[in-house]
Amino acid sequence: MKDFLIRLVWRIFSGILMVLAVASLTFFLVRMMPGDPVNAQYNQLIMQGMTPVQAENQVKVMYGFIPKEPVGQQFVNYILNLLHFDFGQSISYEGVSVSHIIVSAAPWTLVLVFTGLIASFLIGVLAGVIAAIKRSSPFGTSLTVSGSLLHGIPQFVMGLLLAYLFTTLWPLLPFGAPYDSSIDPGFNWPFISSLFSHAVLPVFTYALSSYGGWLLTMKSSVITVLGDDFILASEIRGLKASTRVGYIAHNAILPLFTLFTLSIGFMFGGSVFIENIFDYPGLGNLLLKSIDTRDYPLMSGAFLLITIAVILSNIITDFLYSIVDPRIRR
Amino acid sequence: MTNASSANMENVIEEKNQDMAISARNINVVYSTPTGQIPAVRNVDIDLPKGSITGIIGESGSGKSTLIMAIMNAVTKPGKIESGSVILDGKEDMLKLSTEQQRKIRGKKIGFVFQAAQNSLNPLRRVGQQILDLGRSHDVKDLRALIKYAKELLMRLGLDADRVLASYQHELSGGMRQRVGIMFALVLNADIVFLDESTTALDMLSQASVLEIIRELQKEKKLTIALVSHDIGVIADLSERIEIFYAGEIVEEGKTDDVLANPQHPYTRGLIRAIPKISGDIDSAEPLKGASPDYKTYQQPGCLFYDRCPIRTDECLKKRPDLTHIGKSHKVACFRVGVHD
Amino acid sequence: MGTTSTMKSIKQFNPKAYQRQSFWRAAWKAISRKPGRLVGFIIIVIFTLMAIVGPYLFPKELPIDPNAIYAPLSWKYPLGTDFEGTSNLALIITGARYVLLAAALGALFTVVFGTVLGLVAGYFLGWSDSVIMRITDFFLTVPSFPLLVVLSTVWNFGHPLAMGFILGITGWGGMARAVRSQTLSLRERGFIEAARGLGLSPFYILFREILPNVSSYIGMNLLTSITGCIYAEVGLFFLGVVPFHVNNWGVMLNMAVFSAGAMSSPSALPYLLSPLLALLILTLGIVLFLDAVDEMFNPRLREDA
Repeated sequence: MKDFLIRLVWRIFSGILMVLAVASLTFFLVRMMPGDPVNAQYNQLIMQGMTPVQAENQVKVMYGFIPKEPVGQQFVNYILNLLHFDFGQSISYEGVSVSHIIVSAAPWTLVLVFTGLIASFLIGVLAGVIAAIKRSSPFGTSLTVSGSLLHGIPQFVMGLLLAYLFTTLWPLLPFGAPYDSSIDPGFNWPFISSLFSHAVLPVFTYALSSYGGWLLTMKSSVITVLGDDFILASEIRGLKASTRVGYIAHNAILPLFTLFTLSIGFMFGGSVFIENIFDYPGLGNLLLKSIDTRDYPLMSGAFLLITIAVILSNIITDFLYSIVDPRIRR
Repeated sequence: MTNASSANMENVIEEKNQDMAISARNINVVYSTPTGQIPAVRNVDIDLPKGSITGIIGESGSGKSTLIMAIMNAVTKPGKIESGSVILDGKEDMLKLSTEQQRKIRGKKIGFVFQAAQNSLNPLRRVGQQILDLGRSHDVKDLRALIKYAKELLMRLGLDADRVLASYQHELSGGMRQRVGIMFALVLNADIVFLDESTTALDMLSQASVLEIIRELQKEKKLTIALVSHDIGVIADLSERIEIFYAGEIVEEGKTDDVLANPQHPYTRGLIRAIPKISGDIDSAEPLKGASPDYKTYQQPGCLFYDRCPIRTDECLKKRPDLTHIGKSHKVACFRVGVHD
Repeated sequence: MGTTSTMKSIKQFNPKAYQRQSFWRAAWKAISRKPGRLVGFIIIVIFTLMAIVGPYLFPKELPIDPNAIYAPLSWKYPLGTDFEGTSNLALIITGARYVLLAAALGALFTVVFGTVLGLVAGYFLGWSDSVIMRITDFFLTVPSFPLLVVLSTVWNFGHPLAMGFILGITGWGGMARAVRSQTLSLRERGFIEAARGLGLSPFYILFREILPNVSSYIGMNLLTSITGCIYAEVGLFFLGVVPFHVNNWGVMLNMAVFSAGAMSSPSALPYLLSPLLALLILTLGIVLFLDAVDEMFNPRLREDA
């Protein structure tokens, strides 16, 4: 238990270090940009008729530091603000704090990717088991081939194809936007059904493009376990088929468990293409829009949140794994 | 000729008198490989008399493990049993039973200790849980008694029973796992036990102690044991009967004392000569000449041992010798019986 | 079981010169064993040819034809035309060079960075290992595609080399970690210990003794990183975060979807579908070919063995 705590503290400590490293990356990236956007912003504000003090304060609100200060002082200010969850203020959405914008964008990504992730995981793992057991039959082989092809197709190609097929060729589903803009948002049936029908294609794209990966990983995991001595042993000891399947499933799914929790972390950044194609107002789209409009505080904020999600899920995965696998526990 | 046939008669009577726990006939197992079909076990007849220990000896790759797996009807791909019958207790044929019936026999009636017994446990379950899994699979009513018996066996095998039952595989040493494997083979009171190189991985001292325990248990419970090994010393020490395996065939069989005192097949003689003796000159142990059989060996029509045989003649290249009686229960497959090198 | 292990030990006895010569023969055997693999191989060869000679087949400025804007498929324009009346086929063929060259360079950088750092970390251990592994963890943690998007604000991706370099920089983490763990296990093997005992220099041991033993892994990863790089760079162009001053399939996709509205106007469809088709066929080729590569580098996967 003591070791466990020491490891937990160490992991959290190195996680914080990692966040700081990413924050400094974005900080210096913005400073390095051609034409120094911070100074440019300052000059623009002066041009708009602000006094130097007003402009300075405005820039400090946006970026978290004052352009005239030495770089070291700027950096310290920036990091201190981050520790208070102050990511600065957006430039394109005037007067709105970055944290407010990213917090309202996150649920869109979360729901979209989480649904797709769960669906693809369940179906992919099941198909992977079948593909492994029936690997010498035509059915098993075609499952594997379907997996490698879907796994190989890039997400944006998949998204564009599905969009073309289901919105243009057979116009069954709506294209673009998270819901029909003619409907008033609220807790009413037309709005919810519109939300739902607009989410089908993005979720389906995500699920389809990650299904192949789960299938292939599960297949190879099952095949590895099937070759283990203890599976032969369980057969020769006459264990019931259901018990043996349980042994195989338990051992084969362990490595995938890690991958699954890790993908939860990567999901904030994993749907840039899908959100872009289907114009879904999630974090990925926010990142792209912020670059389009040169809204650097927003860009840094969105990127930081995407990274923090990964770091958090890494830590959680580590500890969950040491709970489910007795070989790691100690 | 008359001598041989009268010996045959006697033997038939003897075989009928003694009950066989397992009586396998005409077993053929073939492995499909990219270079063609390899007969891993060819036309093998083998009997395991009730309450006896039979040693099966041969070099690595001679097909002795495959034979054991064939008797359990558990040959794994790419191997396949082509023909044969395995009669249990003079009653049912293991190779013809339904999968479910076979499953009930495996583990319950026939215990098996693996070559790789060190890895024969599910790494994600405690040993105790796995004993319960075994009990449930074989419809054991009193699971508490099963655990109690398992503890007793573990204790006799020299282990801290409570600790072992609460352990995962990775928490046990190699020798401990091997003993746990033996416990698994015995805990359901199987009366036939196969030990496939089960002690090979152990150091000499633990091997000796484990073999001693096996001998005790065998006497006590009247077990029928088939002991597979490449170590002729272990087999000479323990078994009453011995089967010499070469390239998928039995080349010599009989009572251990007869065979070892009066080996007839040149391969058997070579094996015995290859044992170094602690007291003797190390050079007096002669290694067997030539290479182990490969896929080319199986393709020629003659004796499989021809390439390495010191007493071969041209006749040996044309035909394969059959296993024939030369004594009461002593059989040899060689055309040149009686000729010494 | 026993017999197969004997078989394997016999095969290993081949002299080295023979093995080297037979690699290409074995490779060809693995490719030609199944028709699917052959198809994949041919697709890859065709795309490679397109990348090498493609740009010489057309004038530097592709001709525009104001009378044939979004022309349908015809003999003159087998894949239709774009918004200026430029042949889509010509765009695909001339675009292949940047796409494939950047991907090949990206994979090369990935493999070189990953291998060198992994070897050094795994062999020398100590502080160099901790430093390299910290950096590796960093690159493995930061999601690489969003990172690429952010980097696009400061980096000029105009040249394939620049693109390849950045793809390599963001992608080497997994490779380094895998090579390190393989080096760690090789380190304990007899022949490496023997080489160290003989006083051979660490660099000799690393590049002459250890590198050949991880080369099969590297070979496998070269191809998979090429595919990863293609998707990433075409994706960047598609998203429009990279300035459009080179011809790229991603640019075509972006223009088709966001400027031409190919989703709603059927006349612009060929403009959208031709780069999609190019990517799909290339993907298919690589997936089919990977099967053969698997077998070449990983004999344990051979189905009939």
